[in-house]
Amino acid sequence: MYDGGVYRSDELYELIEDVGGTVLQRTRSSQMLTVTMSVPGEDRPMVEKLCRELGGEIREVPLAGTEIAVVGPTLGRHHMPHPICDIAEQLRQYGAISVVMGLARGRGKATSQISLEEIRIIEEYDVAIMMMGNFKSCIESKTHIFEKIETPVILVTGPMPEGVDDLCEAVIPGIGRKAERMRTVPERAKLTEVADMVMKVLENKRRLLEEDPLFVHPAELKQLLEEYEPIDMSLRPAPVVLHMDGLRVKIPYAENREYLDNLEVYGRRLSEVARITPSKISDSSTIIRIMTDSEVRDRDMRQKEG
Amino acid sequence: MNIETTGTEPYGCEAYKELFRNIMSDIGKGILIDEAMIMLRPEVPLFVFSVMLKAEPDNKRISDAASLRIEGDDVFITISDERYAPDILSQLWKRYTRANVDQQTRFDIVIKNADMDEVADIEISSGEETKKEILGAVWRSMPEGIRVRFNQTDGRVLTIMATEEIVRPEMKEEARIIHAEMLARSRGEADV
Repeated sequence: MYDGGVYRSDELYELIEDVGGTVLQRTRSSQMLTVTMSVPGEDRPMVEKLCRELGGEIREVPLAGTEIAVVGPTLGRHHMPHPICDIAEQLRQYGAISVVMGLARGRGKATSQISLEEIRIIEEYDVAIMMMGNFKSCIESKTHIFEKIETPVILVTGPMPEGVDDLCEAVIPGIGRKAERMRTVPERAKLTEVADMVMKVLENKRRLLEEDPLFVHPAELKQLLEEYEPIDMSLRPAPVVLHMDGLRVKIPYAENREYLDNLEVYGRRLSEVARITPSKISDSSTIIRIMTDSEVRDRDMRQKEG
Repeated sequence: MNIETTGTEPYGCEAYKELFRNIMSDIGKGILIDEAMIMLRPEVPLFVFSVMLKAEPDNKRISDAASLRIEGDDVFITISDERYAPDILSQLWKRYTRANVDQQTRFDIVIKNADMDEVADIEISSGEETKKEILGAVWRSMPEGIRVRFNQTDGRVLTIMATEEIVRPEMKEEARIIHAEMLARSRGEADV
């Protein structure tokens, strides 16, 4: 990730393109610029040299190209802003796009619930971090909130709960409900532990994708989509967000269906190699989930037979 | 502020002690609290927070938090209790308008064409308001889903019991016992 000024940033974009890399995320705030990029390892010294010349800093961001949801029981002041926002901020430092959300009825021990719509929204993300409180019995009785979510869930709690190991990917105890910012040394270490766990969980997902790779890499598809005028002209921050197995494109599917379905990717229509659906959060975004090679082959075979 | 927690979960007890302290400091009421007794039984769920204030909150006037003198038609105020500075300023603005209130330094204010006795008598903080704010902070400290509450207030002791659904008589009884204990402690200290 390059963190510096906008002055001569065009040279950086040109170099990334020349070495065959790609810009994953570009965020400009006044005269400051952060660019998350992916470049071949052998060209990294050259990119670093240019970044130093431009007066910027460059650092490795292991969670680049992922979108992570940090979910609290509600958006009430009992749970916000700490520690949910502290975790989301930590993940941003690691290069992830992180969002914070609260359930509509997640509070209480006996009365807490999660709706199907909320589950579907959380499943749009690469990883979900569920925040729970300080009481063991309460956490153990609220497993229904996260057990049906298909995306990997990391449970962040105060005390260590029992009997939840099979219901989530990992449990990180020692945080719980807090009323002030996590700024002490042990608290910062806990935040690092959360980010490291996210990396570990994503590494498992990445390994599965290496065994059966996607038909097209999300970053390649992003480059194609960025040429489309509604995306190019979009004023929303990060109009295309990378996921491990696809993208979130911030244009409405209903209005751009024809373009998205028929976009040519390696000689195929995008709708043949990806599942394209409107986002459950709002109709103004579209979720593209790219199929793996084996899924595409399987689909082709079934079409031939049928 | 002395905080005592009892409950079935040691981690929760420690965490809530810290949480209560932080929330009270956050709203600036920690200084008013002498003692707090917190009972946490999440398995029921039943939570009782009993708070003993250092003194029963009463109405404060400008003369309680500042010294006043008059020079010609102008009244000069020097704030001695910083906590009330924003309240003093806002009440003066309300009564005399911004044009007539000149804040020369953080603690020095001059009011043009005012009567000193009238200024001294302006109420800047009501006791009821303070109690309400402390109650609000206690509710904020409690877990969010625990919304069915039963409050008791006597002199400088406030006790709040909360549960998730139905308040049973034995829950109220437990709250009453804790309230009575805190009340006895407050009287014991008053006798000394």
